[in-house]
Amino acid sequence: MSQWQEQRPSEEFYRVLDPDGNVVGEVPDVDEETLTRMYRTMVTSREFDEKALRMQRRGEVSIVARATGEEAVSCGSAAALEEGDWCFPSYRQTPAALYWGADMARAVAGMMGAEPETVDEHLPVEEEPPVSFTPVYVPLAVNVTNAVGSAMVDRFRDNDAVTMSYIGDGSTSQGDFHEALNFAGVFDAPAVTVCQNNQWAISVPAHRQTAAETFAQKAVAHGVPYDRVDGNDVLAVYAKAKEHCERARNGEGAGYIEAVTYRMVEHNTADEESVYRDADEREYWEDKDPIDRLETFLLRTGVLEEGDPERIREEVRDEIQDAVDEAREVPVSDPETMFEHHLHEESGGSWAQEHQRQELRAERNGENPFTDFTGEGLE
Amino acid sequence: MSLTTESRSDQAGREMNLVTAVNATLRQEMQRDESVRLMGYDIGPIGGVYRATQGLLEEFGEERVIDTPLSENGILGTAVGMAMRDCRIVPEIQFMGFFYPAFGQFMYTLVKMYERSGGNLEVPMTVRMPYSGGIKSSEYHSESTETYLVHTPGVRVVVPSTPYETKGLLAASIRSDDPVFFLEPKKIYREGKEPVPEEEYTLPLDEARYVRRGEDVTVYTYGAMTRHAKAAADSVDADVEIVDLRTLSPLDVETILESVKKTGRAVVLHEARRTLGMGAEVSALINEYALDRLKAPVKRATGFDVHFPGHQTEHAYLPDEQRATDAIQAVMDYEF
Ligand SMILES: Cc1ncc(C[n+]2csc(CCOP(=O)(O)OP(=O)(O)O)c2C)c(N)n1
Repeated sequence: MSQWQEQRPSEEFYRVLDPDGNVVGEVPDVDEETLTRMYRTMVTSREFDEKALRMQRRGEVSIVARATGEEAVSCGSAAALEEGDWCFPSYRQTPAALYWGADMARAVAGMMGAEPETVDEHLPVEEEPPVSFTPVYVPLAVNVTNAVGSAMVDRFRDNDAVTMSYIGDGSTSQGDFHEALNFAGVFDAPAVTVCQNNQWAISVPAHRQTAAETFAQKAVAHGVPYDRVDGNDVLAVYAKAKEHCERARNGEGAGYIEAVTYRMVEHNTADEESVYRDADEREYWEDKDPIDRLETFLLRTGVLEEGDPERIREEVRDEIQDAVDEAREVPVSDPETMFEHHLHEESGGSWAQEHQRQELRAERNGENPFTDFTGEGLE
Repeated sequence: MSLTTESRSDQAGREMNLVTAVNATLRQEMQRDESVRLMGYDIGPIGGVYRATQGLLEEFGEERVIDTPLSENGILGTAVGMAMRDCRIVPEIQFMGFFYPAFGQFMYTLVKMYERSGGNLEVPMTVRMPYSGGIKSSEYHSESTETYLVHTPGVRVVVPSTPYETKGLLAASIRSDDPVFFLEPKKIYREGKEPVPEEEYTLPLDEARYVRRGEDVTVYTYGAMTRHAKAAADSVDADVEIVDLRTLSPLDVETILESVKKTGRAVVLHEARRTLGMGAEVSALINEYALDRLKAPVKRATGFDVHFPGHQTEHAYLPDEQRATDAIQAVMDYEF
């Protein structure tokens, strides 16, 4: 056997728009501006991914994990947040950050490998986004535990803020995820956890992660209220996320959402999806594309007019190009930045770090860094 | 007595690089012994993200090549249980930087079961982990934190530096009744091939190897840094001896001391952070047992005491031929 058999997830979930963009559920209360912003964010994310992929192929960035096909999950859920809330993303939630005005040039510079200190210096934050985002987490599931801690603080301080975090289907197998949900339940933390179930964890299919019928059920044992939604329907995701956020904001504790979607591309640019899954399955999911679905709905309801989608696409492409141009102007990081931000220096420095910094400097000046035989340093 | 493998170019065999040697050895050991099973995520159809297990699922089936849920602690913990029941488990941890969730099972059960059962319970297992940097990847994909492992009793830590070494050391690890961490320097997975014998062979799990002999100064190193030691040895005006430590735990102290007692000068070259790295241990051993033979203080050419930096700066973190050369030169020029 060389490939996994894919099992399509059950469609027993909450849905507002069917794959053709017809209304089949209750349309949540969102104004036209929010709807357009969601649409624009999803289009931006898709175009951003394409641009990043081209940059990866040219060797300008090392590795790219795209959100293609999954935009509705993080866009719809993040849109349910409000000013003062917190968000703890992993690496596949570009739309969440873009929705809240993440600076694209800063994101691109980061992808190009510039150190955070370099990015801060050359592309300072003009205005903090109304929702606070942590740096993207690479180790899986640890963000969810941190997010619950953040939410516990708001509960102890009687704030009405919410903390949202994201986890992939595969990562729900990690202990951290269960520990997080358990704490969230026990402490009534205003933490909303979104499981972005895109059917795959690199080459391992969802049915190999759990014998449970759904990923939503994983919340049962922790006493956390949950929902399962069509993750390619941004309105459904938004509606349920809003409910959970409101409940959490009102002091009624944590919530959990499984959003059923599909990764339409490779896991990341180091992956080769053809080795483990069928190309056919992708066609099935392409019909369910979250951007097309929302676009149809917006055109039908007159929120968008004929020609708007093309215009928006052109606009965001220009925005992305500008951001890339700006990021390319950021100079390559000075290697000495690697010594920054390990300990606060005002409370006493470290001999080793100061010494090693001198060594690196000597090395870069073409001098021999090993000539200190007294411990007094090189300078 | 240490084995000298100056060069394997005289060796008959199939041309392999380091990762194909891993693959061939896993196949050989699984054919040889039915109790050998692999486990880990992504090790099935795709053969691991580095293709180290490619083709093994087809050949041995799902119960011997076990594609697991995504949980390092789950993998290590269930592997311990399986090993206690007469299986030889070879878990793969996808990157060393993702071993940390498994630290609980590592400390609580894996390294202690043999000792706390008074020698009655064995936990034979070989945990494979690609490790170390130089591949311009993202956070936690370039870790060299072998010190955490080496600091812990009850476990062997092995690092191959060539395809030939890989086969002999991996086969010996799998056959060992101890838990072994087998750290694969991924930077050199596909850098260079050499002939590797088709027939079975093992290499000792407690002996360092002389890469080359010399009279003036010893460079102690392992893994991907071995090649920089060789390049540096060619570029300095000194007769350099290179010792590939191979087994970081237990360390071959006899060879370490034998070499420095002859040359009187030592450099330790590794890409892990310096503080409490292997260099600290080797240097302390020399200080304790060979101080009166030293013609110069021991120097450590290592990574810095920082979190592994982003890919624009990793080249400045990683030791290279130049850093190795400088260290050798400095101890050569020193006079008490
Ligand atoms: C603790 C940990 N183990 C392993 C990895 C390597 N890794 C990165 S992404 C990934 C698959 C994640 O799958 P899933 O949780 O389903 O999220 P998806 O990528 O599909 O969005 C793996 C194994 C990691 N980043 N962290």
